[in-house]
Amino acid sequence: MIARAAVCPSPPLLARELTGRAPVLPELRAACAAAVARLLSPAPDVVIVVGAGHATAAWDPGGRLDLAAWAPGLGVRGTPGLPLPLGLGAMLLDAAGYAGRRVMQAVGEAEPAAACLRLGASLADSAPAAAMLVMGDGSARRSPAAPGHFDERAEPFDFAVEQAIKDGDMAAIAALDPALARELMATGRAAWQVLAGALGAGRAPAGEIVYADAPFGVGYLVAVLAAPGSDGGQAGRRPSGADRAPRRPGAAASVPRRRPG
Amino acid sequence: MAIVNRTPDSFYRPGVTWDEQKALDRVHEVVAEGADILDVGGVPAKPPDDVTVAEEIRRAVPFIATVRAAYPDLVISVDTWRHEVARAACEAGADLLNDTWGGWDPKLAEVAAEAGAGIVCSHAGGLRPRTRPFRVAYPDVMADVLGHVLKLAGRAERAGVDKARIIIDPAHDFGKNTWHSLEVTRRLGEMTATGWPVLLSASHKDFVGETLGAGIEDRLAGTLAVTAVGAWLGARVFRVHNVTETRQALDMVAAIRGDQLPARLVRGLA
Repeated sequence: MIARAAVCPSPPLLARELTGRAPVLPELRAACAAAVARLLSPAPDVVIVVGAGHATAAWDPGGRLDLAAWAPGLGVRGTPGLPLPLGLGAMLLDAAGYAGRRVMQAVGEAEPAAACLRLGASLADSAPAAAMLVMGDGSARRSPAAPGHFDERAEPFDFAVEQAIKDGDMAAIAALDPALARELMATGRAAWQVLAGALGAGRAPAGEIVYADAPFGVGYLVAVLAAPGSDGGQAGRRPSGADRAPRRPGAAASVPRRRPG
Repeated sequence: MAIVNRTPDSFYRPGVTWDEQKALDRVHEVVAEGADILDVGGVPAKPPDDVTVAEEIRRAVPFIATVRAAYPDLVISVDTWRHEVARAACEAGADLLNDTWGGWDPKLAEVAAEAGAGIVCSHAGGLRPRTRPFRVAYPDVMADVLGHVLKLAGRAERAGVDKARIIIDPAHDFGKNTWHSLEVTRRLGEMTATGWPVLLSASHKDFVGETLGAGIEDRLAGTLAVTAVGAWLGARVFRVHNVTETRQALDMVAAIRGDQLPARLVRGLA
């Protein structure tokens, strides 16, 4: 079963090496590191990294991100080169000093919801106390400067995901529409639905939102969740009112926030 | 290397730093813009040869002392071919002797050695200082440049100049027509391949103007193109009037070469 899960985004700029001399969003990296630290304590039997790929497939657990694909000038090659979300997941585990067993699971980006849920359930059954690191992004159409330009449906879509994670509402995650997600360039949809399948598509304990913002027009969500009946009760506890912090576009978002009103 | 001339009649913006306060203001400006070296000259390259040693010292040396007092760590170069001027400049705090006239005064290297200063060994085709090239021709201009600057570098080393403080310079326009200057630019890699650090001094020069058909005020783009090509081929010191633009051009080339990280990258990575 899944004892604990963390959700992190997978933009290439999460790799510090890729952003040049400027750190660019150090707060996002710090949020991911914090979430992964929570994921790894207490120590799991295995960490299952889930992220979108061209097809559903298990990758080499020893694989890393091939930075040279994004920055040929750096001359750093990861072999074998994992799909971006899995490679960044491996990077986060490395940064946390995790040397235990890994499973690198790609889920096809076009995989129907039912297949994602089944994949999640089977991954959950594969180990008695697994941790799941889910690498996925919200819409890339959150602002006019976003990679996919602006779509007015993007922000409601991302907020709905954030709210579902916060409420532990895996049924809402399971119900995300793959077609809409594709239109909104929300590349995390399939991986999030694997998470829903792994935790059981009902109601899980509340998740804790560590970061939620779209500073470059792509929705980034960092969260920690625990499975029903696990020791994950710490997840989701925070001072009341913190979730009412105002949304400041482009600002560092280290506090949990929700949709106004 | 930023140029600040203590002359009333240099070719580019003559007299702009003739006034001492204006010259000092310019120093503050170029340092703020990122210059690592300041090159102070008291005599323009063009004829007639009408500035005496005493006058050259009067123009350049007290100013060097003033700059040295204001900037203890700035590398100060003096643009002179005369050993008397060089000696006085070193006593006032100069670190580098920029001998654009190709070693005309052999005592210059001795002064550099005595003072622990550096020296620029350049090629002027054997021209007497402050004269213009007249129908100059070379069987192979780069071979001539290399032969001469390497001979000067060896002479400086034997005179006792610290090997790490010897720079070579093809000296664009000096003893060269525009074809020659284009050729030494194209083949600058042959100079960098010698291992000596190479200085490139092309800012607003006539070969840029003739190549582009550009007047004196319209040569910045051409200068930056020469700068970029020189940097790509490994030149290390760039003697210029425009520090900010040169810095940007050099930072760009350094990033293309992979010698320096870009400033801040997000495009396509979000």
